[in-house]
Amino acid sequence: MAVAHGSHEESGRAGSLPLAETMNRRRMLGWFTGFGLFGSAVLSAFSNFVFIKPRATYGQPARFGIGRPEDFPPGTRIAMDVRRVCIVRDGNRLAAISTTCTHLGCIVGVADTGFSCPCHGSRYDQDGNVTGGPAPKPLAWYKISLAPNGELEVDKGAEIAPGTYLDV
Amino acid sequence: MSDTTKGPGLLTAVREFPANVWSSIFRNPLPSNDLERASTSFTNFFLHVHPVKVDRHTLRPLYTLGLGLMSFFLFLILVVTGVLLMFYYVPSTTQAYDRMLDLRGTVAFGIFLRNMHRWSAHGMVAVVFLHMCRVFFTGSYKKPREFNWVLGVGLLLVTLFLSFTGYLLPWDQLAFWAITVGTSIAGYAPLVGKQIQFLLLGDATVGQEALLRFYVLHVAVLPLVLTLLIAIHFWRIRKDGGLSRPEASAPAQAVTVTVTAVAAPAKEKDKKKVYGLQGFVRGPFTKVGNVPDNSVFSWPNLLIAELFVFVLVVAAILVLSLMFNAPLEQPVNVMHPPNPAKAPWYFLGLQEMVSYSAFWGGVGVPGVFVLLLLLVPYIDRKPGGVGRWFASERLLANTIFLTLVLVNIMFIIIGTFFRGPNWSMVSPW
Repeated sequence: MAVAHGSHEESGRAGSLPLAETMNRRRMLGWFTGFGLFGSAVLSAFSNFVFIKPRATYGQPARFGIGRPEDFPPGTRIAMDVRRVCIVRDGNRLAAISTTCTHLGCIVGVADTGFSCPCHGSRYDQDGNVTGGPAPKPLAWYKISLAPNGELEVDKGAEIAPGTYLDV
Repeated sequence: MSDTTKGPGLLTAVREFPANVWSSIFRNPLPSNDLERASTSFTNFFLHVHPVKVDRHTLRPLYTLGLGLMSFFLFLILVVTGVLLMFYYVPSTTQAYDRMLDLRGTVAFGIFLRNMHRWSAHGMVAVVFLHMCRVFFTGSYKKPREFNWVLGVGLLLVTLFLSFTGYLLPWDQLAFWAITVGTSIAGYAPLVGKQIQFLLLGDATVGQEALLRFYVLHVAVLPLVLTLLIAIHFWRIRKDGGLSRPEASAPAQAVTVTVTAVAAPAKEKDKKKVYGLQGFVRGPFTKVGNVPDNSVFSWPNLLIAELFVFVLVVAAILVLSLMFNAPLEQPVNVMHPPNPAKAPWYFLGLQEMVSYSAFWGGVGVPGVFVLLLLLVPYIDRKPGGVGRWFASERLLANTIFLTLVLVNIMFIIIGTFFRGPNWSMVSPW
């Protein structure tokens, strides 16, 4: 509106200018205005998304200590449901297998044959490979390491190849 | 203050005060003739959404079944009960469940309001779906109502999303695991799935952030979106020529009225002029062309019909809320998913499909289905068969749609009654 109004005054003042030239100026200003408004709308919509995407989360940290190696006797499979990870000790080897079902995020239960999901019946073997149900991929293995203070540390941010154990 | 313009005395002013206030607000007396009937619909803010006159066909209960109105009234009940519940609810993982218990125990009518909110929400999902079926089976999405059908699909999706976000708020086991499963389904969407899931939850898993986000969506964002869509949906009904009706009784959208029938400047007296429906508000109603007039005044015919549906809906919700309590399970226990963990019933068809393939069941098939729904009026452009249930010209379209509806219902029934622990087939008997 403001553009049209302004150029109207313009054409009144510079009456000698050819009509095509004033029309061009009006059209250009119109384009600038439209582009500016549209651009700001897109930018503000985008910044809204940036705003609602959290930079830091308030949930559990990806790295956490789980105790000393002797807390996990050989031959045990101890599920830590709050952390959503199962600590497997096989002889002197340790591994941390995710207990979050790869299908739809339920917590899988530890069974004799491996893992089974209560939500849609996905089944996994002891190494987390899918043996039945709708799960699309095997359970993740996380990096497990021994900190200098002698405590075991699991890093859920670091997925490792299945079958990679930590020797203790 | 001059003597010449002396108004009524103080005594008269007091005596006429109620009538004065009444007429200053409503302008019109209670209608006793057609002019006042038209004027009442026209000058009242809450009534002017109605046309002055409606076709008799629109008022046939067995044509519309009142389903659209029912959805709207259920939404009104949900807004009122929802706002009341907000006075006590706290969207916090440590407090939400306790507040649910408080609604049961200490808040006056707390349990009753929660029941009303819950049953209206379930009812709204069902009724909106049935309304869509009605519109399809009567061919009402056809020209010129194509875009209103698209808006209707949008309304269905927002209704489902509203119901879904409300599902988490009690913070019980049912809520937690249903939302865990539901948001994981969103994570299967191609390219942006994981981002959408993260934006929804505000974290890697369902927790405080997710509860707060779902709360804001449920009480502010989505109701606003729904209100806006409803407003446009209603407005379009009027602009698209009222509810659909059989070809024979459909009048032209603008009608020719002889100007002598209405108060008009003298020089135009002999001209013919095109009037919209507003033309009827002045002067006696004029019979138009050779079309038999099949319309009646909205006041009181349409309003009585609406009032009837309203009373019916409120009564049904009150009775349901008196008879059945909204379920509340154990508080959230992140370590023990219930077995089986089921989504709300209207998503159980989805969950059943998801148990075969997460991508196709949760994203692929529903995505294609919604896309087809949106495109329906642009695919099926044959003009015939509008305004009648199951018109024979529309046998093919109706058969396809009915099949899809029945398959969906079948999946929901299987998911609800035939799935037991580990999602294995069980007999409900």
